[in-house]
Amino acid sequence: MIRPRVLPRARKVQKVPFVELYAGRLQGVVSSGSDDERVYVSYFEAGTGNFYCSTNNNRPCGGLRGSPCKHLVELLNEGVLQYGPARVIAYLGLQQAEPDKIKTGGELLRFIKGGPHKVEAGMVFSRFLTYLQYVSVAPTGAPLPDMVWFVR
Amino acid sequence: MPILDLRSVPEPVVHTAELIGHLDEVFESGFGRLSSANLQTLASLAASFAGTPLAEPLDAAIAGLGRSEFVDRHFAVIAAARAAAHGAMHDALVAQASAALSRPRPELEALAATPGQAAPPRAAVLLESVRQWLMELAIAGFANLEVGALLPFQATLDAIMAEPALVRHAALLSGFLDELLTVFPAHGKPEVPRLRWVDLWARAMVLSLAPPAPAATREVKGELRVFATDLRQHDHVVSLVAFGALHEPGKPARVVRTQVSAFKVDVLQGDDIAGLLNEVGGKLLEAIAGGQGVKIVGMLLHATGDLVWQEARAEVLPAKLKLAEEAAAVLTSPTPLRPSARPEDRHPAVIEELVWLPGDAYAAAGKEARELSLGGQMFPVAFERWPSSDDLQFADLTGSKGLVALLRFDGGRWALQPVMIDKGKPLPRMIGTGLQSARGKAKGGNLATLKERAGKLLRKKS
Repeated sequence: MIRPRVLPRARKVQKVPFVELYAGRLQGVVSSGSDDERVYVSYFEAGTGNFYCSTNNNRPCGGLRGSPCKHLVELLNEGVLQYGPARVIAYLGLQQAEPDKIKTGGELLRFIKGGPHKVEAGMVFSRFLTYLQYVSVAPTGAPLPDMVWFVR
Repeated sequence: MPILDLRSVPEPVVHTAELIGHLDEVFESGFGRLSSANLQTLASLAASFAGTPLAEPLDAAIAGLGRSEFVDRHFAVIAAARAAAHGAMHDALVAQASAALSRPRPELEALAATPGQAAPPRAAVLLESVRQWLMELAIAGFANLEVGALLPFQATLDAIMAEPALVRHAALLSGFLDELLTVFPAHGKPEVPRLRWVDLWARAMVLSLAPPAPAATREVKGELRVFATDLRQHDHVVSLVAFGALHEPGKPARVVRTQVSAFKVDVLQGDDIAGLLNEVGGKLLEAIAGGQGVKIVGMLLHATGDLVWQEARAEVLPAKLKLAEEAAAVLTSPTPLRPSARPEDRHPAVIEELVWLPGDAYAAAGKEARELSLGGQMFPVAFERWPSSDDLQFADLTGSKGLVALLRFDGGRWALQPVMIDKGKPLPRMIGTGLQSARGKAKGGNLATLKERAGKLLRKKS
């Protein structure tokens, strides 16, 4: 039986509501630190090390000046927490980084060699909505015998 | 102590497990590149089914796969054969356990077929997609999977989740896909938990052969007294299983099982679970937290002793029960009508035979409770199934007055999983007793945050 991973600390859901490794990117949704009404969509691309951060209506993040902004750092931190350093390093193809020595996502920044490269935020956002679909599936009182395989 | 007879395993069970182990090697390397050793394994699988109804289809499937005919019916036959082998192991193990515990073997309750709603036509189409995906996994082999081959299945899964008739498929497949994605892509060559993944694969394949038919049930009227619980979960489903004594007027008390489950996302854990389960089983949580009985009127009971939980048909009774006494009474010489599995679901992993051990029958051995001492002899504890929860801890074993455990078979041996520990206080220690008080805290929890943040994105779009 696989034991689930126990996270070193709880995910900061308010700050980074969504993070995933998908379609060759570490991507997610990050809350603005100053404006409660604002949400950013951020990503790092595997291989190239390119990154971007923008509001959902594709306005670029003001903190993005050639290097990753604080939203991207937060995304990286939560990504490493959620998936563990080894998986993030392998996924992003950061060959120089040693998983055993990495404690937080921020420590991976120096291995990321790419630059800002725009992608449409809508794609990440629709992934977030797909993810949230799980929560809207009706709960059930019916027997689910196969759940015996899943313990923690 | 007769339970100690279960420190050995019947010879045919060991042999069957070996046969399955060899078959699973083929799933690891893939049916797309069958080696001569693989072909030999498949031939000996076919030989062991000689004279059974599966012999002919199995011969045809193996011959077809040898010619690289990759069609889902060949894989369906392999899955059925593997499931049948596990079913035989299940039956032999249940017979062994029943004999050791001096109790009759569990029986399915004879129920008249009940008219129910058949699955909608689109369910058949979705299940065809599932079989197709499973076939692709088997052709590639678990050792050779690539994330690109896994991700497209998410779209099928989304559609399955939207189909209430396929809730069992949704729970199983979301856990399976998630687990595959957790391991792939990883650093270097991933370690494949072979037996486990082929179990999940075969389970999904057998479950997807045909749309689920409505099961026979009957309406139940009486009182349910829950005395033991277990929590099961993966990133997308959480499930609380409750075992209790059902008192129906004019019938002897019997053990039943009920289960409330909710879909979720990975960040929803701990207290958030309470909020999710409250919607489907709030009264069950309330009864568990208070050690109270539940009056049930018209809830449906399956032949397997599974009660379909329906909030509207439950009423929590005020009296506090003596649950340890209740458990001891109904488990000391249980009736054949007790929780069991349908023939098609039988597998050693689904065996959960409930036992009551009085305080003088056992002692905790070591700090981590890897074993229990039963009258001086060591018996394994299903340590890996112990949930991480404050409600039930290893330390609770020390100085306890009795316990309820699930007798399980995993990793080639029997083990006990404690699911209720009597500390001599009115409320015994069991999973879920803390969920009721966590309900309040969950209101402003992560679920609300996720929905609010998604709402912000939606509004910004306009």
